[in-house]
Amino acid sequence: MHISDGILEPQWVLFWYFITAVFISAGLRAINKRIKTDPAYLARISLIGAVVFVISVWHIPVPVTGSSSHPVGTPLAAIIIGPLATVVISGIALFLQAFIAHGGITTIGANTFSMGIVGAFSGYLVFRLLKNHTSIWFSAGMAGLVGSIMTYIATALQLALSLNPGNVVYYWKLYSLGFIPTQLPLAFAEFAFTGYVIQYLLKAKTSLLETQQESPSGNFTKKAIIMMLLILSVITAGAYMGYLRGGDNMGIDTVVETLAAPDAAAEGIGVELMERLGEPLGFGFAGILGGLVTGYFWGGFTGKGQRRDN
Amino acid sequence: MLEWLDGDPLNGIAITITFFISLIIGRHLGKRRTQGKTGGSTRDPRLKLLLSFLLIISITLMKHWYIPAAISIFAVVIAARKRSLHAYSGKIIFPLVLGLFILLIQSLTYGTQTLVYGYIQFHPEGIEYGMLIFSRVVASASVLILLIMATPENQILESMRWFRVPSTLIQIMSFMVRYIKTFSHEGEKLKQAQQSRCGFPENASFPEKMQNIAAVSGLLITRAFSRSEDVYRAMVSRGWSPDIKYPEASVPLKRKDIITGIALFSGIVTLIWIDMLI
Repeated sequence: MHISDGILEPQWVLFWYFITAVFISAGLRAINKRIKTDPAYLARISLIGAVVFVISVWHIPVPVTGSSSHPVGTPLAAIIIGPLATVVISGIALFLQAFIAHGGITTIGANTFSMGIVGAFSGYLVFRLLKNHTSIWFSAGMAGLVGSIMTYIATALQLALSLNPGNVVYYWKLYSLGFIPTQLPLAFAEFAFTGYVIQYLLKAKTSLLETQQESPSGNFTKKAIIMMLLILSVITAGAYMGYLRGGDNMGIDTVVETLAAPDAAAEGIGVELMERLGEPLGFGFAGILGGLVTGYFWGGFTGKGQRRDN
Repeated sequence: MLEWLDGDPLNGIAITITFFISLIIGRHLGKRRTQGKTGGSTRDPRLKLLLSFLLIISITLMKHWYIPAAISIFAVVIAARKRSLHAYSGKIIFPLVLGLFILLIQSLTYGTQTLVYGYIQFHPEGIEYGMLIFSRVVASASVLILLIMATPENQILESMRWFRVPSTLIQIMSFMVRYIKTFSHEGEKLKQAQQSRCGFPENASFPEKMQNIAAVSGLLITRAFSRSEDVYRAMVSRGWSPDIKYPEASVPLKRKDIITGIALFSGIVTLIWIDMLI
């Protein structure tokens, strides 16, 4: 999703330009350093950048909706040429896209931030985290999916910050929900697209990829991620349907508190954490703690770990 | 018909001079137009880029929708006069859809007052704010589209050095511009070749379609990788090295362009001032 000129307030135009300039200068420094040792790198990233630009404006079929749309492309580029070089390439691509009225001149900073920085870095991080545990195509697919979703979440945040500074969180959720019907199926298309392209490259030209495939460590990670995606899909679909039916994101807390336990006084470490950190961070902290403990003792629960030790 | 002859001769002198001077200017402009030298495309690209940027920034500063709306209408008139209305309308669709999305969200959610139409509840403040954003988006996009129509891509790239854009960025950009068209054409050829070998069938499942597209994309990436080696060799044979220093762009702006730039900049400032007065 490219933000057009005229949407962002001037102070946000400058802010996103500044953030992007920092990343682009870091990217240029990395490219210049690499060119000194490998002079062919300039031509290589330019031509691969041109191809990724071409591919990212091709229309790919989108599941469920039956329509077609173009992928973000930056997670794929980040896997092939690295995230810092991707920031530079995507900045240039967005400048060129502005001349076909996709995006704009004043919003290059904001669009590069959401696509080139958030999309590329989140996708690359997911790829690096998963590639040692699952197959390369699955890791690349997940990079495409997460990069695509994160791009739209970042775009929604940019719109909320600039257009509705008085109620950012509410409008962030609202714009994100507004993107779901078109962008969630597209993210799944990006999953398939990125996964298949990397799989093809792995077969055809392994040296192109900066990373090599390592032996996967079982199906545990894959199953856990599929489970996470399923639950996330149910939650987002439920939230979207609830919003369409007039819900106000109240959640079930109030219903439970008022109907099931009207006299209950909320207290304890969990409540304190929520109050101190805010609900999203509090839940995030609880998730990390719960996940770590469960994962650590997983072998003990199922007995598989003990068998392996023996 | 010739009553003015009996009256003040000054009237006659004035009308004669203005008529013939206008006649000469009109004839000159007509000739330039038939030779393809329109005023817009002969201006310095640096000036056009800078003024467009300033105009878009000034549009985002505006607090009322009237001036952005007037700019949009003006842009449509110019596109129609240049017989480019079809290209203009094709390019304006994406910003238009985004502007409408924001108008809808703001109308339905922003503000305290309510207007009820059937089952739908609108907020007047949201409609007003959404209209402002919508008009800004359309006006800014219109300015950008006119800039593209009046300035070839290579001229804009040439002006980048004057704006002190780092040379590595300009080199990558030049390569990308050069090869985007090549790879776009090559990708289409690959698709056609795959179709002729029964790829991309209408009844293919989603994974099959994605595998087909990915195969073409992967092939294109490997070709880009191989070609980059040839390009590098060509660069080296033409004297390129990583430490090469490019000369500073020293072509000064013409006096005519400077005067036009000052006049148009004053116009932009006047528009902001009018918007503040409303």
